[in-house]
Amino acid sequence: MIKKTIKYLHQRRLTLTFLLIGLVLLLFIFIPLGKMIFSSSPSTLWNTLLDKEVRDSIWLSIYTALIATAFGLFFGVPLAYFLARHSFPGKRLVESLIDVPIVVPHIAAGIALLFVFGKSYLAGKAFDAIGIHFRDAVAGIVIAMIFVSVPFLINSAKQGFEEVDERLEKVARTLGASPWQTFFKISLPLARRSIFGGTVMMWARSISEFGAVLVLTSHPSIASILVYERLEAHGLEYALPVASVLIIITIVIFVALRYFTYRSKKQ
Amino acid sequence: MSMVTNRRILTALIVALLLMPLLNSGCSNTKTPLPVIVAGSFMGPMEDLEARFEELHPDIDVQIEGHGSIQVIRQVTELEKEADVLIVADHSLIPMMMYNTTIAGSDEPYADWYLSFATNSLGLAYTNTSAYAGEINESNWYEILTKPDVAVGIADARIDSCGYRAFMTCQLAESCYDNASIFERLFGDSFTWPITVSVEDGIQTIHVPEILEPKGDKLALRGNSVWLLFLLDSGEIDYAFEYRSVAEQLGYSFLELPPEIDLSSENYSESYGSVRVKMDFQRFGSVQPEFTGEPIIYGVTIPNNAPHPNIAAEFVNFLISAQGQAILAEDDQPPISPARADNPDALPDELKELLQ
Repeated sequence: MIKKTIKYLHQRRLTLTFLLIGLVLLLFIFIPLGKMIFSSSPSTLWNTLLDKEVRDSIWLSIYTALIATAFGLFFGVPLAYFLARHSFPGKRLVESLIDVPIVVPHIAAGIALLFVFGKSYLAGKAFDAIGIHFRDAVAGIVIAMIFVSVPFLINSAKQGFEEVDERLEKVARTLGASPWQTFFKISLPLARRSIFGGTVMMWARSISEFGAVLVLTSHPSIASILVYERLEAHGLEYALPVASVLIIITIVIFVALRYFTYRSKKQ
Repeated sequence: MSMVTNRRILTALIVALLLMPLLNSGCSNTKTPLPVIVAGSFMGPMEDLEARFEELHPDIDVQIEGHGSIQVIRQVTELEKEADVLIVADHSLIPMMMYNTTIAGSDEPYADWYLSFATNSLGLAYTNTSAYAGEINESNWYEILTKPDVAVGIADARIDSCGYRAFMTCQLAESCYDNASIFERLFGDSFTWPITVSVEDGIQTIHVPEILEPKGDKLALRGNSVWLLFLLDSGEIDYAFEYRSVAEQLGYSFLELPPEIDLSSENYSESYGSVRVKMDFQRFGSVQPEFTGEPIIYGVTIPNNAPHPNIAAEFVNFLISAQGQAILAEDDQPPISPARADNPDALPDELKELLQ
């Protein structure tokens, strides 16, 4: 019996080693999250959820991130497809520049946006003509979110398109499909999983954004800014429950998304 | 050379590269760190003080962290950060938030003394592209700020001392200019949940609601007065209520206001005291802060759980010395000379001597 177990463990030593190593990382992620959620009593969490200011800010985070992600899809997917299918001088440079918003300190990103979309600058003036303002407005939150999180979507979609066999597109073309039909019927569906993954990443990263939004739009306040304001104005005791509620809601959304993508994968 | 050796060399190089920072901190960096948490408005002078102090003490590495004044104290009392020196833009915060709060796991308070060591004044920062920059002066500023094409920035009174002091200044302006509508015209319609003023026994109390959210484009609110400066630079706002030291050090134009309202002068302590700012935090039971108008006085203390109390005392000593005061004066932060202790008996011995 013991011999059998040892033999079994021996055969599985790679799996076991990796499991142990992975466990360290899992604990590293789960313990702080768990501590955060359980630092507030259920009744405090419930009261926090009943707080209109908290609900408004979480809802604002969720829907501005959705709008940002929609813009990301509309502009990012065509760019990703172009980059996946064409090479041109300076392509590497363009691809590196796309990643820059991820590494730029986000307060600096916010300031950079202010100097383009501010009311005294070109883009700001142009949008002003159609009544869109960016300082302390929903549009400001959205552009800040797009700037810092769209690289995740572009990169993921590009990888997805690169993995689509170009011969399939060529076959479709020889069978009489137009380039548009080929894109929508062949390339896009085959790359959908990567695009979906990138979309979720972009949306999630948008919700967590703080620095760039803070510079452009402190009010109305998204959830991350409300956490900061409560911390500054009222102390840790009042900031933690807001953070916990935000974490719980995002966990629910993430689990739901994984569940649905897993189901569609099985079909 | 074989492929395998090549790879081994590469791996070794990578490992060496990863270990480099550890080696560095282990060998060459033997300096003692001196964590100092200061009010955002004191960052400029602090950096100059740091440079001079480190020149005098090459074995010490002053590490500066800046926050709004209330948050400076919370870093220690709530987030349990260990700091050697705390500097706030409102001295009254130290007794209010530290004298009665005990260090976790003991019955000792976080602090039991502080020194008043510098002053400042409140006014308006602006740039040469601000609307009406050529016209604004000491007697018409509140008229200019209420013009429809002028946007104004103010720090969040719930977070930054510069914010509640700006409210005080505007309320004091009413008697100074004999015009009872100034506060109402500036802020009456600017917030979703209005700020109200009540008068009792000659004391005007400004009530700040627990949710402070500007309405419309005319007023911008930021958690820290320094962040208003980005908005000023980009032309989003034309004027920002700011401390003189900050505006001057960072190269902005600064409109000085009369001493009756700029909270700079101890000669006007009594009239400043006729204005109060009260935070109406109904749901947030822990504190109901109330601030009485008084001259702006910066306070410094050494928390009782400071990791290096002796070096901290040496730094405070330097701060209130002639040398330190010269640096403050140069950075438009008028020193209080000599510095005053509110509770001289509790001072560390090193500082007692100097004050005598």
